[in-house]
Amino acid sequence: MAGLEEEDYLITEGDSLSGHDNNARARTMPAICDPSHLLHRIVVLVFMCFLGFGSYFCYDNPAALQTQVMQDMQVNTSGFMQLYAWYSWPNVVLCFLGGFLLDRVFGIRLGTIIFGSFVFVGQIIFASGALAGYFWLMEAGRFVFGIGGESLAVAQNTYAVNWFKGKELNLVFGLQLSMARLGSTVNMNIMGWVYDHIKDFMDSAGHTTLGISLMIAASTCLFSLMCAVMLGYLDRRAERILNKEAGKTGEVIKLTDVKDFPLQLWLIFLICVSYYVAIFPFIGLGQVFFIEKFDFSPAQARAVNSIVYIISAPASPVLGFIVDKTGKNVLWVACAIVATLGAHMMLAFSFWNPWIAMCLMGVAYSLLACALWPMVAFVVPEHQLGTAYGFMQSIQNLGLALIAMAAGSILDNKGYLILEVFFCACICMALIAAVMLYFVDLLRGGELNLSSSARARLLKNDSPHSE
Amino acid sequence: MELNPGLKTPSTGVGLVHVRAVGSNDTLHFLFCSQGAPALILVHTNSSFSYVHIDWDAVLAGNFSGSLKVLPESSVQFSSAVVLTRLWEYDDVNDTGDPQDPFSFFPPYELQDFSWNDLNTTIDLAKLSATLCGRNNSNTFRNGSLCLAFSAFGSKGRDAIWPGLLHNANSSKLRIWLDDVLPRSNQSRFALELQTVSSAKQRDHVDVLKSIDDEYTPSIFKVSQWVSSPGNESSEILGYTQWKPVAYRSAQPKFEDATPCRHSNPVLLSQLPPSGWVKAFFEDGLQMSALNLTFSIAGDPFYNTTNYLSWSVLVGLGVPPQDSFSPLVMTIMAVGLGTPLALILFGGVFACIFKRGQQPQGYEPIN
Repeated sequence: MAGLEEEDYLITEGDSLSGHDNNARARTMPAICDPSHLLHRIVVLVFMCFLGFGSYFCYDNPAALQTQVMQDMQVNTSGFMQLYAWYSWPNVVLCFLGGFLLDRVFGIRLGTIIFGSFVFVGQIIFASGALAGYFWLMEAGRFVFGIGGESLAVAQNTYAVNWFKGKELNLVFGLQLSMARLGSTVNMNIMGWVYDHIKDFMDSAGHTTLGISLMIAASTCLFSLMCAVMLGYLDRRAERILNKEAGKTGEVIKLTDVKDFPLQLWLIFLICVSYYVAIFPFIGLGQVFFIEKFDFSPAQARAVNSIVYIISAPASPVLGFIVDKTGKNVLWVACAIVATLGAHMMLAFSFWNPWIAMCLMGVAYSLLACALWPMVAFVVPEHQLGTAYGFMQSIQNLGLALIAMAAGSILDNKGYLILEVFFCACICMALIAAVMLYFVDLLRGGELNLSSSARARLLKNDSPHSE
Repeated sequence: MELNPGLKTPSTGVGLVHVRAVGSNDTLHFLFCSQGAPALILVHTNSSFSYVHIDWDAVLAGNFSGSLKVLPESSVQFSSAVVLTRLWEYDDVNDTGDPQDPFSFFPPYELQDFSWNDLNTTIDLAKLSATLCGRNNSNTFRNGSLCLAFSAFGSKGRDAIWPGLLHNANSSKLRIWLDDVLPRSNQSRFALELQTVSSAKQRDHVDVLKSIDDEYTPSIFKVSQWVSSPGNESSEILGYTQWKPVAYRSAQPKFEDATPCRHSNPVLLSQLPPSGWVKAFFEDGLQMSALNLTFSIAGDPFYNTTNYLSWSVLVGLGVPPQDSFSPLVMTIMAVGLGTPLALILFGGVFACIFKRGQQPQGYEPIN
């Protein structure tokens, strides 16, 4: 339906970008060029994984360079946290629109390239702001970056489904997630080093040094943009050769569905918001916290701050497997929340080595992601899934934007203890929601907390109805 | 609180503020004074009727020695003094924040040579405070000054302004700031020399205590205290000097104005600090020590970015006050942890009643 103009657009786009003459290719081709062959899919997978690398790498640039940003741009912590808030604002809306834009307006290939360009241009603006010494320009850059960031992740998933559905899809999702975490981790650990080298080279620190470092970080976005172009080309080529369709996100967003959302779903939203706001803004501010409270060196602080992401990369598939096998999602969610609460309390009320708390948080964070997100599918019918997920991400971003600002000003005025207590309060909120979810589900006879065997039984008895 | 106790005719240049804190069976005397280097003298007596006696004739004649007494002398339990003697300035060319190279130091400002403002006009009886500002006649202090604000306290509390040290009626506070002084280089950093006299044994090291509570001094998780105990390594504490290792680069401190401060190890001195009133009260032969406080570290902005530096220290008698969690923290944690627990309990009971026999024990593992 979206067909004709989209196809035309893409053909010119693809040709002008690739510059190859595809028609002249011989009919018999080696495995690596054959779209139906595994080897070719692996090549595609590589591009797919690096598609999101740039945006994940640059998302946490501010966290990796917190002291430098605050000193070079002369902003306080609330100003600094605005960089995260500005990233989240566009996504409050785009979580609904992203899928629509990809399916109906741009198409997956062009859409990916467009979102990739937003990410790249946003990072360039961000870096230019630093280079020129204008903090508002940096904020504007983060806003543009945010427009591309989350939607690019949707595009990445769509590509994955399109190429690997019914094959190695779960593995691919896992790999993409690991890649995202890898991007964050590499960023956390390398940006300070890059900055120091530029500083030595320039012989002085200042906003120019910061700008150059961020420009270097922008190269990852350029790289990801090139991956987007390559993917677009390969996808179009595969379409012509295999006569398959361009991928769709399949997301249908109907805002009127919202009124039909059951109480359980709202509780899941509440858990999602109040849990994630105690993780991401905390990691954004973590590096300096570890330096100031635990006397860590900057390098150690960066390492411990990125451990959550590092753990999440290998732990997600394993924990996902465990949750799948056992069911009882609500219980797992509650466990994850309690563990995170414990980790935050350790950081707040003790001088214990933060590696313990952060590792615990890393495991809990992965566990929560594995157990929480699939629950949505149990409580809403399939045709409302897109809306439900869109809504969930949207309010998550809203929460992140607001809490990032709040966290910055709490830290500026009240210090780390109160900030940590505030995060604990958020986690307690999530815990309350989880407990309520358990009871609501119990009373309404829902299937959220059934073990997987009970779910299988239910599925057998009542196959057309259940998800 | 009184100025120049016992002085009949007002006279300039001999300012001494006396604060008496009377307890049921003891009295604390705080004397803040500026003859020579600015000093704060603390005396603990075990009588509620002890008083300060000054031989003003001798003082006005310039003969300080022995002219300040707290009577009856037998009631004096413990006495100590803190004197600000020097302001160091060094040229931190390599931005190390660590003045190792003796050649990087400019000649220090000797605070005994400063001319100090009259205390009279700055006394605030309601707030129990007085401010002393001084300068020398060099060019660098043309617009600038080094000021000390002394406060005593009637009850437990803390300042609204950072570092918000916790104080009680047994303590007094000095806030010291260096405003608008022309630094002698573009990379100037400052350090302060503190000398002390104590009638008891003052520890040969400053204890740095960790505190998880940074609510009143954001991002500072340490408290430094330097205490005096009677004689041998007794754990009893008679007096203390306590501070947070932070200085601020503006008069209205904000988070980003904080700059760390470090202290050297105390060294023993052989003569009394150059303060007239300290010499008037103390005799030679007591324990005298000195330490330096260095402000800011490598990478922090130099003095000339704001031309302001302030640091606060609590000087008191008895055991130093200790921070504890604020009611805010307690309330949030109690509500935060209590609500889910209560929900689990009530929810569990509720669910048991309504779903008797179905899944009665299902709620337990959540906890």
